[in-house]
This record gives sequence, structure tokens and C-alpha cells, in this order.
Amino acid sequence: MSIVNRRDFLQALAASSGAVLLPNGAFAQGTPKQGGTLVMDVLPEPPTLASYLSTSGPIGQVSAKVYDGLCEYNFDLKPIPSLATSWTTSTDGKTITFKLRDGVKFHDGSPLTSADVQFTFMDVLKKFHPRGINTFRALQAVDAPDPHTAVFHLDTPAPYMMMALSGYESPIVPKALFAGTDIQNSKYANNPVGTGPFKFVEWQRGQYMRFDRNPGYWRPGQPYLDRIVARFIGDAQTRSAAMQTQEINYGAFGAIPYFDVGRLTKINGIASTTKGYEMQSPIVMLDFNTRVKPFDDVRVRRAISYAIDRKFVIDNIWFGFGKPATGPISSNFAPSGIYTSDVHNYNVPNGTEMANKLLDEAGYKRKADGTRFEIIHDVTPYGDEWQRFGEYTKQALAKIGIKATIRYEDVPTWLRRVYTDYDFVLTSNWYQNLADPVIGVDRQYSSWSIKKGTVFVDDSGWSTPETDRLMKEAAIEIDPKKRAALYHQFQKLVVDAAPIVWVFELHFVTVYDTKFKDLIVSPLGTYSAFNQAYVQS
Amino acid sequence: MSVARDRARYIGRRVAQAVPAILLIVTLNFLLVHLAPGNAADVLAGEAGSATPQYMAYLRHQFGLDQPLYVQYLEYLKNVVTFDLGYSFRESMPVRDLIFQRLGPTLLLMGTTIVLSIGLGVLLGIFAATKPGSLRDNAISVFALVSYATPLFWVGLMLIVLFAIDLRWLPTSGMVNIAAFYTGWQKVGDVARHLVLPAVTLSLFYMALYVRLMRSSMLEQSGMDYVVTARSKGLTEHAITYRHVLRNASLPVVTMAGVQIGNLLGGSVVVETVFGWPGIGLLAFKALFARDLNLLLGIFFVAACLVIVVNIIVDVIYTLLDPRIRLR
Repeated sequence: MSIVNRRDFLQALAASSGAVLLPNGAFAQGTPKQGGTLVMDVLPEPPTLASYLSTSGPIGQVSAKVYDGLCEYNFDLKPIPSLATSWTTSTDGKTITFKLRDGVKFHDGSPLTSADVQFTFMDVLKKFHPRGINTFRALQAVDAPDPHTAVFHLDTPAPYMMMALSGYESPIVPKALFAGTDIQNSKYANNPVGTGPFKFVEWQRGQYMRFDRNPGYWRPGQPYLDRIVARFIGDAQTRSAAMQTQEINYGAFGAIPYFDVGRLTKINGIASTTKGYEMQSPIVMLDFNTRVKPFDDVRVRRAISYAIDRKFVIDNIWFGFGKPATGPISSNFAPSGIYTSDVHNYNVPNGTEMANKLLDEAGYKRKADGTRFEIIHDVTPYGDEWQRFGEYTKQALAKIGIKATIRYEDVPTWLRRVYTDYDFVLTSNWYQNLADPVIGVDRQYSSWSIKKGTVFVDDSGWSTPETDRLMKEAAIEIDPKKRAALYHQFQKLVVDAAPIVWVFELHFVTVYDTKFKDLIVSPLGTYSAFNQAYVQS
Repeated sequence: MSVARDRARYIGRRVAQAVPAILLIVTLNFLLVHLAPGNAADVLAGEAGSATPQYMAYLRHQFGLDQPLYVQYLEYLKNVVTFDLGYSFRESMPVRDLIFQRLGPTLLLMGTTIVLSIGLGVLLGIFAATKPGSLRDNAISVFALVSYATPLFWVGLMLIVLFAIDLRWLPTSGMVNIAAFYTGWQKVGDVARHLVLPAVTLSLFYMALYVRLMRSSMLEQSGMDYVVTARSKGLTEHAITYRHVLRNASLPVVTMAGVQIGNLLGGSVVVETVFGWPGIGLLAFKALFARDLNLLLGIFFVAACLVIVVNIIVDVIYTLLDPRIRLR
């Protein structure tokens, strides 16, 4: 009750204090002009700035302002020029030749050449980047025949590789500063030198990071903002308050809690968007441990898939920010044809009935007290929504006679339990599909991804030779139609086996100050350079 | 003269006694933190949201997690003895630098809180005790009780709503105005403005303790024989209260303050979180959830040293307040 009152109170305050600002959407698209400081909240504070060594989310939010990649991406999920002005792929798909942009300089003044590209891919990303080790597995060598040409030689075609060349995923670092040094402990890790629109200035731990406009940026006239400052506020309520008082102008990836988004965006001068996450595609799931009873039985897994009311979860726990998931691949892959909804559908109105029937068939009859069996349900430790989701799951399972006890631990303990000890039966979880199924989906369903001690791989222990084959073939198939067909078959088989309950495709939300324009201009959203962003005065 | 010498000898002996205590604390801490399941490599890779077995092995090796526990312990002991507290792989920085960066804001917040809470607490305690049972006494008691019983984070948020969102007098969070980058006196003023809400929030809680303590201590002292003597020799009530009773009554408050320093380090985690204050409490909290054990142990070590130093200071203050207490 007191919380409701407080919100009404906040709203009334906001209405009075926000009145000086012009209403949302009152602007026509104006001409960008230079100036202004964007304060963004980054959650949590990044551990380092070495985006070539770590894919930790908050790092990318800031490092992408400093480092460029060979490509950027448009909303059709197609690569477009950035440091590379053009590229050609040989007919066998094993040679890709990139032409590099002329006149690009690193922040220390040295020019970008193909030697930097060669060094970045062969000596840094392929060796040390947590995803790069996998993404560039087919890459055997990079030739630098002249300073503005880089030739990638692959041992098999790798169509997914072209999706992993952004400044966030594969930042180009200057060879001169890294060559011959210990790359894992470089002094440039937290003092990054890139070619991007903003230069790193300082990092006050626990407080802020400051990035100033790079006047020598290769896109003439850009960036428009003078400065970007990243702040780290640990408390969700305080972040909302700071957004309201415009002490921060931008918060992405759930920095503003879902329950506050509706209230804040009613205030003039604050808006939200779910665009800019098309290359993340997170899916909320329940993972079974298929090694142990009762979830070694496909009928039990399918029963639970039926028992979860997707719409209820989206509307009531995530405040409507999502849509039901149909299988292992997100509908964000519809434009490339990889996604299909033509799979077995567990999201049916009589789900509870279907579930009860399947459990009876599987031999788990109801006992005298109405229960069939008891399990411990682990909850992924990433915030309040997950706890609510755990409580919902407990109730949904109770309806079909399964008594679930909720267990909530901290991140290291949970990771150890699920990915090293395999000491769980059912846990909530979420995976991002990322830019391509080879990068974000294979890791969860392939036999080669059942790796004890490695986090966010195949925890359910499920794989089949048939699905393994489909993934392997799709990874090297360069004909997009054939590739899509392989993935369609893959989705069908995986959904039938139900090693996981795909609950819904989560829509991240970005809340921002509307006087800033053109912040989200690509599917990478916050993981892009913000070179086009400007302040509308 | 001999008092000063006694005092110096006493402090020297206390420091010498502190060394084995700290070594014991360091050892216990080391064993305790290693009981927690999961390690820094899991967390770092977990944050990345993706990892390969090669990457995990590389992290474990880099963090020294592939070494037996006793090797890790000896390594750590060596670090402590040389005051090199090791390296935080998560933050890519030496632990010592990380802690010293954060110690300033913590000491600023702690110092302000101690002054505010003790000052206000003692003052209100005296006001309450001089007229026990009066409306004034009851009002102060209720105020103290409410401050003590209200959760810190809630008080913090309410102050933000009122002073930052509604009145717009003060900023919601942080230690400096991020977009401005002030220097000189402007910066001092800016930090002071940011300090107000967290310091008041934290002070309200601790003040309540001192009010209650001061009040009961004053009342207890006012029944003592020396007060009767003072009164019979014709001293004014004012002189009795402020020159004699107050001095004796403040001993328990000083004791409590000494004990509270340790709590204050921990209690400020909540306030630091709510107000985004870049202190050491928040650093410890983050280090725990990241299993950044080097950093966590470093913070424990510094905190232990701090508590020991404060306790020595408190003991010395006793002798100033009550000359009958001897330092042995």
C-alpha cells in the first residue's frame, strides 16, 4: 500500500517538475549539432575495459564508444561498412578480402593498417576472446598484402563470422601497443586506444568513466556529443530517481527496472524503446538436467513445457516486455529465414490437462496427497523478476502434482551448481542467441558443448547425433536457403525433445532522455558507438 | 611527563599485541572466504555470458586457482606481510590501490557520520535526561526510536524523494556532479552537497543509539554520591550537569563509539548502495559476489587494522575523560 502511495506521489511530483520540458515527439527530425554530455548508467560497473578479452555485458556498453570494428550492422542484420569499406568472399567461402578505410587514425595518432587487423584477429581475438576462440575457429591466417587490404583465409566456410565483426564483438586494437607484450595483462586494458568516436579520459572506480569527443574521428563532423560519462548506481530505485532528475540520461539492459518503466515514461522528456537488442535476442527458459530422473524422460519434460503459461509470465512478471518463445531460436532471426514457428506447440490453452496426461503416461501417478513427486527448483540469481518467476513456476508445477521447493543462491554458487557439479534438476536460466546460431545457439544443444566447468554451455546434458550433424552442416553452409532449411529441421527436432522449456523472448528496454536523438541507430543498440547521437536544444 | 611516557609505552605495547591478532584474523578470513562455493573464474566467465573450456582454464590459471590451497595461503601471507595486498584480477588493479582509492570517501562518510551522530545523540540525550518524563523527553525518545527502527534504505529513498526529486535541493546520488567536472573550492562544495543525504541517513540510525545511551547514563550518574556532594557544596545545577555528570556519563558513549566503527564499515554498504557513494563497503560487497578473494581479504585486513587503531584511540580518550583510569 505504501509503495503504491509513494509511486502516485512520485508521479505527481514528476508531473509538476517536468512541465518545463517539451512534450514527447514534438520534435521534427532536426539537424544534428555539436555539443552536450550524455550521462549513461551502466549496470554493473565493468570489471575492466578490455573488450578484446572479455564479453561481459557492461564492458561492451562503454568500450564500443572507443573501439571500431570492421563492420557495423543494419536492422536487416546485414553487415555494412565501418573500418572495412568493402569485402568480397570467394565462391568456396574460404577466402574473404577486406578493403580498409583510408585515413583512419588510432587515438594515439598512429594510422590503422592491415597489420593491425591481422594482429587483432590472429593474436588477440582468436587466442583470448571468450567467444572469438569459437567464432574464429575456422580462421587460419590473415594476409596483409598492402596496408589497406586484409585477406582472411578459412579452412571451412564460416558464414556466421561476418556477423561477429562489430566494434563490440571484435574490436580492432593497435598492434604497435600490444605486440610483444603480455596481452592478457596489457597496460592498455584499462586505458583503451581505439579508432572510435570517443577517447577514454579517466575511470574513477565506483563513480564514473569519462570519454571525450575524438576530434580526429574518421567520419567528418562526428561525433556530435562532446562527452559521454558512464555512471554506476547500484540501487534500482536510485537509478529511477536519478533518471527522473536527469542526473542520468540513459539506461539500458534493465538499468531501469521493468516496474518503473511505465511510470517514468509518463513523465515528459523521458521515453523508452525495446529497439537495439536485435543482435542479443535473449530467451527466458527453464533448463532440465536430462541426466537424472525424472527429467531423463521426454514425457516429463514435455509435460512441464505444457504447464507454463507464457502469457501470464510475460504480462505479470516482466510487465509485458516479451513475446512467447517457440523454440531454441529467436524470432529475431525471421529476416534471415533461419527462424521457423513450424514446430511442436506447447503454448496451448489446455496445457495443464495435457501435462497431467503425460505425467500419468510416464508412470508418475498422483499419490494420496495429490502430488506425484518433489523437486528442488533453482532460480537463476539475476534479480527480482527471476524470484517472481520461480514462485510462479512453483505454483504452475503444483497444479500438475509436482511439489517444488525454491532454492535461491548467489551467482558463483549457482554457476558452480549448474555448470560444474550438475547438481540440479530444474533451473530457470536465460541465453542470448547473439548474432548467429553458431555463436549463441549451438553452445546449448551440441555434444561438444557439454563441458564440465564451462559456464553458459549445455547444462542440460542433452544432445543427439542428428542435431549435432545439422548444426555442423549449417555452420559451413554458405547458401542461405539451404542453411535456413538445416536450422528449420534442427528446431523441429529440438522442440520435440524438449530439453528446455522456452518460455519467452525477453525484450530488454532502454529508458532515455528525449532531448538526445539518434542514440539507437543499429541492432547493436547500446553496444554501438553513439557517433550519430546529438542533443536537440 | 610520566603520564605521556606511560601513554607512549602503552600504545607501543598495544601495537605489538595487534600483530598476532591481525595474523590470526588474516588466517581465519582466508579459510572462511575459501569455504564459499564457486570462484572468480566462474563469475567472470558467467558475466561474459559465454565461454570456452580454454578460456576457463586460462582464467583459473591466471587467478592461481589451479594451485593447492596451502600454496595460495602462503602466497597471500607473503603479500600481507609485505603490505602488498595482491592483485585484483577482476578489476585489473593492485588491491592496495583499489582500497586506497575508496578509503577516502569511506572515511569522509564515516567521519561525518560519527561527528553528526555522536554530537546530536549526546545533545539530545542530555536534553532528555535533564527533564525525565517530560514532553521533551518523550518526544526525543520517540524520535530516536523511530530513527532506529526504520530501515536505512527506506529512509535514504524517502530523503531522495523529498530533497532530490521534489525540492531539487540536493543530488540523488554519487559523490561529484558527473557532467560538470568541478575543481578547487567548487569541487569541495559539490562533494559536500552530495554528502548531505548519505551522512544524514546513516547518522539518524546511529544517533538513536547514542541518545538512548546518553540519557540512561546521565540519569544513572545524577543519582551518584558525588552529585549530592556537589549540590550540597552549592554548585548550580548547570555546573553539575555540564562539568561533572556529562563527563562521567560520556564514558559509555565513547565505548560504544569505538565498537560502532567496525559496524559503520558494514552498515554503510546499504547507504553506499542507495546513494551510489563510492566507498569501501560497496567494494567489499561487490568483491564478495564476484569471489574476488584477494580484494575481499585486503578489505578485511584494512578494516581489522582500522578497528584496532580506533580501539587504541578510544582507550586513550578514556584517560583524558577520567584521570583515574590508568593505562597499563
